Amino acid sequence: MAAVFSRSMLLLPLPLGYAVAALTLLKALRLGQAAQRNLLILGALPVLVLVVGVARVLLARRPAWRGSLALDEFHGFQDRVTSALTFSQVPEPERSPMMQAAIEDGVSVAGSLDPRRAVPIRVPPEAGLVAVLALGLYGLSMLEVRHYRQLPPPASFEPMQMSADDIELFRDVAKELQAKNDDPNALVAVRRFNQLVEDIAEHRLDRHEVFQRMGDLERDLKDNVDLDQDARDEGLKGLARELEKSGLTKPAAAALDEKRLADAEKALRELAEKLKKKEGRPNAAELDKLRQALEKASRSNEERLKNIADRRRELEDEHKSLLKKKGEQPDAGANTDPKLADNERRLEHLDREKSRAEHSQKQMSELDQQLAQAARDLMKDSQQSAQDLEQGAQDINRMAKQEASEQQKKELLKKLQEMRELMRQQGKGGKDQMQRLAKFGQRARGQSGQGQGQGQGQGQGQDQAGGQKQDGPLRLGSGPGSVSIEIPVAQSRPGEGPTEPGDKPGSGQEHGAGLGAGTGHNKDLAGAATDLKGKTQDVTAAGADTGQGAASSQVIFGAAERGFVGRGYKQVFTDYQTVAEQALSKDEIPSGYRFYVRRYFQLIRPRD
Amino acid sequence: MPDADQAREEVSEFQKQIGALREEIGRVIVGNREVIDGVLSCMLGSSHALLEGVPGLGKTMLVRTLAGVLGLEFSRIQFTPDLMPADIIGTVVLDEAVAGGRTLEFRRGPIFANIVLADEVNRATPKTQSALLEAMQEHRVTVGRTTHTIAEPYFVLATQNPLEMEGTYPLPEAQLDRFFFKLEVPFPSRDELHAIIDRTTTEQHAEVRRVLTREQILSMQALVRRVPVARHVQDYAIRVLQATHPNGEEAPELVKRFVRTGASPRGAQAMLLGAKVRALFDGRFAASIDDVKATALAALRHRVLLSFEGEAEGVASDRVIAEILKKLPASKE
Repeated sequence: MAAVFSRSMLLLPLPLGYAVAALTLLKALRLGQAAQRNLLILGALPVLVLVVGVARVLLARRPAWRGSLALDEFHGFQDRVTSALTFSQVPEPERSPMMQAAIEDGVSVAGSLDPRRAVPIRVPPEAGLVAVLALGLYGLSMLEVRHYRQLPPPASFEPMQMSADDIELFRDVAKELQAKNDDPNALVAVRRFNQLVEDIAEHRLDRHEVFQRMGDLERDLKDNVDLDQDARDEGLKGLARELEKSGLTKPAAAALDEKRLADAEKALRELAEKLKKKEGRPNAAELDKLRQALEKASRSNEERLKNIADRRRELEDEHKSLLKKKGEQPDAGANTDPKLADNERRLEHLDREKSRAEHSQKQMSELDQQLAQAARDLMKDSQQSAQDLEQGAQDINRMAKQEASEQQKKELLKKLQEMRELMRQQGKGGKDQMQRLAKFGQRARGQSGQGQGQGQGQGQGQDQAGGQKQDGPLRLGSGPGSVSIEIPVAQSRPGEGPTEPGDKPGSGQEHGAGLGAGTGHNKDLAGAATDLKGKTQDVTAAGADTGQGAASSQVIFGAAERGFVGRGYKQVFTDYQTVAEQALSKDEIPSGYRFYVRRYFQLIRPRD
Repeated sequence: MPDADQAREEVSEFQKQIGALREEIGRVIVGNREVIDGVLSCMLGSSHALLEGVPGLGKTMLVRTLAGVLGLEFSRIQFTPDLMPADIIGTVVLDEAVAGGRTLEFRRGPIFANIVLADEVNRATPKTQSALLEAMQEHRVTVGRTTHTIAEPYFVLATQNPLEMEGTYPLPEAQLDRFFFKLEVPFPSRDELHAIIDRTTTEQHAEVRRVLTREQILSMQALVRRVPVARHVQDYAIRVLQATHPNGEEAPELVKRFVRTGASPRGAQAMLLGAKVRALFDGRFAASIDDVKATALAALRHRVLLSFEGEAEGVASDRVIAEILKKLPASKE
């Protein structure tokens, strides 16, 4: 025990010292995991030395009677105890009297043995060092070396801002679309749009998230919309071409050609009724023509695809021969390359056409089948044929609904694009742009430049005189290229229409020329009458009151004061917006202004 | 169970007898306690002792006194260069009978005593020395065809004078080995000298009494042989012996450097027997390592032969043995 303890104390400084050094390095230099692992592995060496050293002591052969010898020596017993122990191991019969006497002598002194004093477990001198190292290790392990890291600034969440008026605008759009639609897919899209608007209203989304969701919605809406519509239109055109050849199906063909699906459905139903009746039924020749037309119509998509495939094959062969020619005559590349490019373009075009044709075939497949069945049944049973035609009419009805749904989708897409454009405009140019847009909004609604309008039109009256600018045109955009737009501001007229509660009445004050908009009302809006030096007579003509309501100009000029409400205003607004949309769609308005035109109409839209 | 009481009685008796011996010897011999004990050890070990010391230290007196207290026959042989073997062994003489006729009769020499003092044994020729040493070893003498046994106890004390080595015949190693102990008789201390002067220069003359009989001595010798030695003690003695050899496992550096040859097994025998005697002297029933240490010097000093380097360096065999005893642990790790 003493030897083990002594040896342990002797060797312990090794692993302890290593541990202290390693821990110091780790903490001071902040070593990485790889270095930590290496240090740990190296640390096994001193531990191994300790273990081996102690094991050697433990396993070492102890001389016999080492303890008793130490006792004898300490007490000066002249090996009496040890001899007694030795002799006691001799079997009794073999013991001599002297041995026995020695044993008894040893026993007699055994009582006075003091092992603690004889073989004390002395504290080795290394114990002090071990204690110091152990304390040092403990202290180091408790030590926390703080190192300061620059944390990245927390991501700030800036919710997307949209004015209450705009939120209401898009809410109304969503309501309208929801009311018009019964296509489940379209409704889902509308609900998503609605949710987006609500999330923006609740400041739950930042700019990035808003754009992301708009993009997702847009993508989902755009998938297959255009392709479906185009494919369907082509298919219907193909049908119309064939159906036109029969007098009985001419009305339907005309409606299909003009994409009047409701009329086409009605025409087919009427034809079906005609076939059912016994009286007034078409004659055989007419029926035969009808049959041929129906038959060809049902195959029109299929034939179209076949034609495309044939044309594609021809182009491919041509392409191969051109490539071969190029390979054989590299010098003739100048002639061959343009032809190759043209060939590739035509192939691509054919591929798109093929895709549309396949789509069309897919969409028209039921109608084609009904028409084919109707053609077959026409020869056997006109009643059955009539039923087939009615089913065909139902298919057309389905297509009509689908088209309507797609129209709604397009409408939603359009609104999404408007929303995106609005946000984009709000986003670029920073605070200055925001202020300009806010001013634009105020001016559009007939509000002064001071204070914020709530979109309800607080008729404050403007210091305007027949279209004169108050404080210069509103400048939109920033930097070079920005445009000045003169915005006619609606003027309030006393006595016209009710004012909103809380509206401030016109102050009737004149404002001098200044930067801000005036708050007063100028009676000389129209200015003094021109003094014409002529022999003329002033005639006042007043329009007769036909009971058709106020004139458009009257409606417009009072709109802001009234808060853009009223059936008359709604009608005027619709008329003007329609014209504006037509102009926008015809690219008659420069692209830079499109947003502001649309924005203008958004801001002055009719309220309920 | 063995009778330990008997053993205790024997040991107690032994102690008394030794005490009486010491006391009686002490009346004549001043000091030299170790030498006396050494001599007694040799005698009780049934062996012989070699005393070395300058003349006049009482070596002869000691032996003579020992013979007197033991009541044993004593003879003194003064070894001289012209001493013949027959002078110590004896010779055959032609004896005339009264009735006439002549017979050859062996006349015993001085060697035929219980206690023989061979004074200055290194003065005699090797031939004469060998005659003595043979008798010491064999306890008998062969003359012609007749073997004459020497009566027990037989104890030879030889002396050597370390000063006058010229013209002497140092005992060969093989012969030296026959002596149990080599005891060095020291010069007495001042107090001892005072005592010696007081005793020897006055008309007072101490007479010794016989305190032991021959049978008692033989009995004591037998008891010594019965003293048990524990394994570890014997092991220690053997290790000491082995350490005297230069190629010994535990031989210290001094041995490796200055010793030519180490002690023979007789050295271990002498150590152990001497340890037994010491144990009995102390009233103990078994020999101890300390007893072995105490006897090691006397038992080994004349058995360890120094190398030329050792002799040139003036290293004494006592120093070598002391080094061994100092460095050798009691038990082997």
